[in-house]
Amino acid sequence: MNENRLPLEGILVGDFSWVWAGPFATMLLAMLGAEVIKIEGHKRTDLMRHSVVWPLAEPSPANVPPNQGMGFNSVNMNKKSLTLDISKPEGAAVAKQLAAKCDIVIDNMRSGVMDKLGLGYPSLQELRHDIIVLSSGSRGKEGPEKDFPGYATIHNAVGGVAYISGYADDAPTTTVGDTDLMNATTTAFILLAAIYHRMQTGEGQFIDYSQCEAVTSLVGETALAYQMTGNVPERMGNAHPYFAPHNVYRCWGVDHWLALEVHNDAEFAALTHVIGKPELAQDRRYKTMRARKRNERSLNGIIEEWTRQRDRDWMVNEFCRAAIAAAPSRDWQDIYADPHLRAREAFIKVQHPELGPLELVGVPWKMSDYTPPPNRPPMLGEHNDYVLRQIIGLSEDQVKELRAKEIIS
Amino acid sequence: MAGSTLAGINVLEYGEMVAGPYCSKLLADLGADVIKVEPPGGDPARAFGPFPNNKPHREKSALFLYNNTSKRGITLDLKTITGKDLFARLLKWTDILIDNYPIDHLTKLGFNNAAICELNPKIIYATITPYGRTGPRADVKGDELTLSHASGVANLMPVRSPDIRRAPVKPGGFQVAYQSAINAAVVIMAAIIGRGKTGTGRVIDISMYEAIMGLLRPGIAGSRYQRSSWSRVPDRPPAMGRMKTSDGYLVLGAAEDNHFRNLREMMGNPPWMAGDKWLNMAYRTHHLMDIAPQMDAWMEKQKKKETTEALASKGVPLGPINSIKDIMENRQYAFRNYFKELEHPVAGKQKYAGWPYQMTASPPKFSRPAPLLGEHNEEAVCKELGYSSEEYGRLKKSGAFGKVRR
Repeated sequence: MNENRLPLEGILVGDFSWVWAGPFATMLLAMLGAEVIKIEGHKRTDLMRHSVVWPLAEPSPANVPPNQGMGFNSVNMNKKSLTLDISKPEGAAVAKQLAAKCDIVIDNMRSGVMDKLGLGYPSLQELRHDIIVLSSGSRGKEGPEKDFPGYATIHNAVGGVAYISGYADDAPTTTVGDTDLMNATTTAFILLAAIYHRMQTGEGQFIDYSQCEAVTSLVGETALAYQMTGNVPERMGNAHPYFAPHNVYRCWGVDHWLALEVHNDAEFAALTHVIGKPELAQDRRYKTMRARKRNERSLNGIIEEWTRQRDRDWMVNEFCRAAIAAAPSRDWQDIYADPHLRAREAFIKVQHPELGPLELVGVPWKMSDYTPPPNRPPMLGEHNDYVLRQIIGLSEDQVKELRAKEIIS
Repeated sequence: MAGSTLAGINVLEYGEMVAGPYCSKLLADLGADVIKVEPPGGDPARAFGPFPNNKPHREKSALFLYNNTSKRGITLDLKTITGKDLFARLLKWTDILIDNYPIDHLTKLGFNNAAICELNPKIIYATITPYGRTGPRADVKGDELTLSHASGVANLMPVRSPDIRRAPVKPGGFQVAYQSAINAAVVIMAAIIGRGKTGTGRVIDISMYEAIMGLLRPGIAGSRYQRSSWSRVPDRPPAMGRMKTSDGYLVLGAAEDNHFRNLREMMGNPPWMAGDKWLNMAYRTHHLMDIAPQMDAWMEKQKKKETTEALASKGVPLGPINSIKDIMENRQYAFRNYFKELEHPVAGKQKYAGWPYQMTASPPKFSRPAPLLGEHNEEAVCKELGYSSEEYGRLKKSGAFGKVRR
């Protein structure tokens, strides 16, 4: 048995994508052992290199140096960086030479941009017949809305998750950027499926990916519900169609909240002991799930009367010890403090040349015979020489010439 | 020649509700041969609904029908000796085992990691559990509500609600479970590809909590290292975000200067938007809220679909907050043939949500509707495990499949 042999060793990925929906897909592949070359223009770099997440921090993130944006560093770990001006013919030619070596080429540019650069699937297939090319678009490569641009929150809205998110008596709400990374995960999956297919048949292919549709696939049950009942499924806040209590409760302090889910009568009985009101388990208003659901409002009031005077994390421990599903509503700074994540080594320590030691969120899996590769995100253009000389096989003079013409930095 | 993407891969699903079943559905719709094992009472998703006329029926639950397409289904009573024996044989048959029951569930039935890997040293065994199988919270219960709040995804919702007297709110539906399922599918595929080289199996531990938290990694790192101070109102200038229209809501992402110029033009260049300063993103970032009430007032007179089409054709990023009905009537989804008709013997013919990936060589498809409870008991045991019909009859009598009510 090979200890820690990474499962995707030997797979080369040409990554023309930017922001999050593409880059996190190839990062997942990189963390599983693929070699990923990220291609950016040295003038037109990945937006996220300079960026932090909205809302914008002060001073203006436009001043963030290109290697320091956390929106970049967090989704580009273990890749190699090539800067290449593909808007110039010489740059596009080098991109083609690189693509010809790749098993996978991915982009998330506007529909048709790669084709115009001579990097579309038909051209690449001529260079390498079994290449797998994926183009990830907002609404897909063809069709009446193919040119509609979008961001994560827009895809979340168009695809149908936002409509069912939020309180029943209030406006719908999008999520906050995670849709891009969900799309990236789905993209990584279908790329690997295509790799498997190629291993079996020798056949490559083109994958036309719609980020809005991927959101809809995660509300697929509502499409059937609508057809079978005639009703459009609506928002229900933190509530559940059958379970109660099932809510988020105010805790002691400012903007501190506790989420609680009770799945059966035994858990409810345990809850009544934690909050010191065991008589509620015998109360006919709360004794059965159906009764609790009917009297959810008053029950939520009783629970919040108890939680609002107490410390959130202390209560989470009390409820969990009583075998009830409970969790704090964490903000992002809280995440780093969670001892459970620490114990599972959910963060990867990275030595960043400009920023020093960083702890970045690691891979969302544990696997036998697997240790995540420790590599940090690449500095802009860090691997220009390696990629041009060793992967493409250019001579030193050719590289010099490209540099002189400012095709590479 | 073109065939199914994952033809030749055998999958055993021991799953319930969403995370395990959706993971194996992803593989099944791409041509993997998935056998779903249910307890004799059925996957609890069969009791979840929604149901036609709100009348519970185990073959008509929308949640179950969607998440179990293209699979065969059997029931096994894993408390019986014969049921356990069949399960062990299926473990030898399969390449992949997907399990999203509580962490000690299969262990208590006699199938711990070691036993499973001994039966099939090449198996890829993926578990999907709320907090993963190790760590101080491994035993803690959790589902959509607690996990979406624990992971940080819910804390900033609802967006554009500055009222911190109201609790943060979870994303709708089963987003945590779905994301966990996709995550598991990525690692399973990598393991299958890697197995071709090493011949060895893998045990994969997916924590739903980490799967969803992992989607917030840019913000998590930003909050620590760049003090990007997300508040409860992250959806704000320069893009505006959610806005109300006369017939619903849309999300406006007119973040860049040319987007804003096009928007202003469409609004008829009102005097309160005059001047070059509004075409400067940095200015808008800090001052857009001054004119947000006027923008809101204008938007409230527009229609979400028409406004989207008019502005998006000019390159402005935006989109309606679509209900599932809107989506089923959308021209782009229709053009891409996203919804696929599928007939189920009991629930009838419906349009099912398809896949976001269109593939030139090996497109996904539904090979069959969700299985009826115990539908493939005989077929799986006779065809895949090589039993005769007589032996099947004896197994049935022994209670291996439970008392399947017909």
